[in-house]
Amino acid sequence: MSESVEGDGAFERHVLPEIEVLLRVANSLTRNHAEAEDLVQDTLVRAYRAIDGFDGRHPRAWLLTILRNTHINRNRRRRPELLRDPDAVEGRMISDASDERTDAGIDDEIDVEIVRALGSLDDPFRRVVELVDIDGLTYAEAAEVLDVPVGTVMSRLHRARSRIRDRLDEVGFAPRSHM
Amino acid sequence: MKTWMMKLFGRRPPGGMSCHQVGEVLQQYLDGHIDADRARRIEEHLEECRRCGMEADTYERIKATLAARRPEVPAESVDRLREFGERLARGEEPTPP
Repeated sequence: MSESVEGDGAFERHVLPEIEVLLRVANSLTRNHAEAEDLVQDTLVRAYRAIDGFDGRHPRAWLLTILRNTHINRNRRRRPELLRDPDAVEGRMISDASDERTDAGIDDEIDVEIVRALGSLDDPFRRVVELVDIDGLTYAEAAEVLDVPVGTVMSRLHRARSRIRDRLDEVGFAPRSHM
Repeated sequence: MKTWMMKLFGRRPPGGMSCHQVGEVLQQYLDGHIDADRARRIEEHLEECRRCGMEADTYERIKATLAARRPEVPAESVDRLREFGERLARGEEPTPP
């Protein structure tokens, strides 16, 4: 490997520790584990080729940008019928939620309603909740994945959670908002 | 707390912030994306204002439920990809994971 701006070992130091996060986000993007692993593999190859120009600042954000672009390029090459179907995803999440109904108790009922409400959100809103609340990314990291400003992440997240909260209110699991 | 109530009772709102002001930044607070001074004032407000406290509890519950759904990343997948990356770093032609 040629010497990078960051010197020898930059790839091992900055990229390898982020593999788990990359795989988690890739799973969210693809909804398919095998495909997610392929996506991360392609991302690693691209990161390796680009490491010489990387300045060592915010490696996770840098890698998430590569992951996002790699995902977009892979989707462009795919047949349209293989592209992700938002309705199928929503169905899967509602199905997951329904499975949880087998557990008794009000806490489970609240969980079911939260997951159901998440599944009913429009795609841009659901995705930001998944990246921040499920995958554990920061606002800035989610902004890199979605290629939107941080302010957009914040406003979508706020609205999405408000809708989930309103759903809980509708079914009597949350106090009426006064804010 | 409503402005008219503050005027009526001459009382400073909890944390020096109205419920509306707290509502605008509540989610940033819960996500830890707010400066320490404002976080302290919001905390003070939430302790004294029951309705805002309940609102915060609801959002905490939503966040906790979603975080609990974070899927486990299979360790064998991470190992395969790490090995792939290490081979890349050594300049070897890696085999696909």
